[in-house]
Amino acid sequence: MNILTIPFRNLRRKLPRTLLLGLVFAVGISSVVTLNYLSSVVGESLEKKLTAYGANILVTPKTETLSVGYGGMQLGDVSFDIKYLDQTAAEAAIRSIDLDERISAVAPKFAILTRINDIPVGVIGVNWEQEISIKSYWAVDGTLPDREDQVLAGSAAATVLGLKVGDPVQVEGATFSVAGIIKPTGSEDDQVIFAPITALQQATGNPGRAHFIEVAALCAGCPIEDIVAQIREKLPDVEVTAMQQVVQQRMATIGFVKHLALIVSLIILVTACFMIGLSIFSAVNERKKEIGLMRAIGFSRVSVFAVFCLEAVIVGVLAAIVGYAGGFVASLELLKVLELAEGATLTFAPGHFVATLGAVSLLSLAASAYPAYRASCVEPSQALVML
Amino acid sequence: MLEARNLTKTYAGEGSPALDSVSMTVQPGDFVCITGRSGSGKSTLLNVLSTLLTPDTGEVLYEDMNLALLPSRKLDRLRGTEFSMVFQMHHLLPYMTAVENVCLTFMKGLGSVGTQRRNLAMECLERVGLSGKEHKLPGELSGGEQQRVAIARALVSEPRVIFADEPTGSLDKATGQEVMDILFGLNRDGITVVMVTHEPEYARLAGRHVQMEDGRIISG
Ligand SMILES: Nc1ncnc2c1ncn2[C@@H]1O[C@H](COP(=O)(O)OP(=O)(O)OP(=O)(O)O)[C@@H](O)[C@H]1O
Ligand SMILES: [Mg+2]
Repeated sequence: MNILTIPFRNLRRKLPRTLLLGLVFAVGISSVVTLNYLSSVVGESLEKKLTAYGANILVTPKTETLSVGYGGMQLGDVSFDIKYLDQTAAEAAIRSIDLDERISAVAPKFAILTRINDIPVGVIGVNWEQEISIKSYWAVDGTLPDREDQVLAGSAAATVLGLKVGDPVQVEGATFSVAGIIKPTGSEDDQVIFAPITALQQATGNPGRAHFIEVAALCAGCPIEDIVAQIREKLPDVEVTAMQQVVQQRMATIGFVKHLALIVSLIILVTACFMIGLSIFSAVNERKKEIGLMRAIGFSRVSVFAVFCLEAVIVGVLAAIVGYAGGFVASLELLKVLELAEGATLTFAPGHFVATLGAVSLLSLAASAYPAYRASCVEPSQALVML
Repeated sequence: MLEARNLTKTYAGEGSPALDSVSMTVQPGDFVCITGRSGSGKSTLLNVLSTLLTPDTGEVLYEDMNLALLPSRKLDRLRGTEFSMVFQMHHLLPYMTAVENVCLTFMKGLGSVGTQRRNLAMECLERVGLSGKEHKLPGELSGGEQQRVAIARALVSEPRVIFADEPTGSLDKATGQEVMDILFGLNRDGITVVMVTHEPEYARLAGRHVQMEDGRIISG
């Protein structure tokens, strides 16, 4: 028996009140926990989906180009002195920045204009693995290639060239077979043929050269500008540009989800806090004589304050345990129901749980501080003669 | 041991003072009965002496310490140790058993009430004749028994002074007498008792009798 006995007994004595209060608090906490888990997991999976949408940093050689257009007619860029990137060196440099763990793909490109079956067509040399990871929206008839003697044809290019899955293709003297045909994407990918970069470099006598490199950085609120700056530092002689629009859109979506979660969580918690505060207030009014008696037998004002605060904190801590467990289970279920979990996993975070306990204790302390303070102000001589 | 000097107290919103230059002394071992008509200021005086209330002017000296100069922390400690109080209402916590109510004064902090203190509480209950009822809730006890638990609660801190405000006020004559016998017994054991009562008979039996009227002491 110690000071905790008093709040515990009172909570037990008013079991329905305690349960109701605990329930509201637990629901509040579990919705906060659920929203947080969901927003982080959804953020993550959204992140993956958005990454699948394409690269967000472009690395190109510095070229002096003039955009030639006249009378509203675009005549294309005239580039003097086409420069290449040193593929291996550039890739290594990009992979070596401090924020390298944010980089999910480095996809080099080597592009040529050639003729297949006497029809002019663009052939883009790519690294299959990297390319496929940033183009996860590709749907393919046939299979995704993984060998050096395979090509992947854009839908329009395949139609024009009359290519089918399994057909042999001659590119710059090298023979490939069509592994798959990309279903229409509505992008430039439809117009071209993708070939393995090394084979293409070899066939055209340009070993180790790349025209540009697309980089996909994972960015749930990550500093894209910092990544760009770090790449620039490593590669001073090349052009590094962030595709701002994609990035900002990405950040905005994730930011919105998180904000929404935060606001809803706060509203629920504030409500729960008000209920706790009101309930302690009514307990103080009901138990004025008890307070007077405690003061008369030597309880200090601090002890009286503690008796009432502890009542709130005990409810809070119990609610936090139940609410956290409930929130975790609810997150798992919701992820299943909403099918949001693809590619994202939910793991129990002990630190998170302890932080929740701490935060809830502080919150219930704050919610009960004023009524408990009022309890500590009760005048014992008056309270003891009240009827 | 206890000395009141020129105490005055006027409650907010009241015209006439509840205490009007009251001075009195209490010697160790005294049994002081304070009587007077309703509203004459008896409870006010008792509350001021027992530190529950602060006077407007005047001072209370306990063992030559001016209580007005003590920090509230020390006053709290005084009430939990050397001073004890018994009221007309027993003020037992309904959700705690007799022995737990007696132990309440040891539940001020996180330290657990040890076996030693629990045994002391049992002894106090025995002293007021409640052996065998230690684990009953107040609701399961009669009015007289409840008041005796309240006296045991006052005893457990081994006080030097017990302040009692009409401790028999809500009891019938026979039960009231039992409670008085306990208080007289405690006084014989050396505890100083300052008691407010309406019973002239108890006042006669007490060592000292202080009579009040309109906030003043008129005799004693
Ligand atoms: N908390 C208070 N606020 C205002 N006036 C009060 C308060 N307590 C007592 N009084 C007034 O002070 C005067 C003295 O009250 P007190 O309680 O000391 O009388 P008492 O002698 O104990 O009476 P009783 O025998 O009825 O208990 C009365 O006029 C009473 O109305
Ligand atoms: Mg009175």
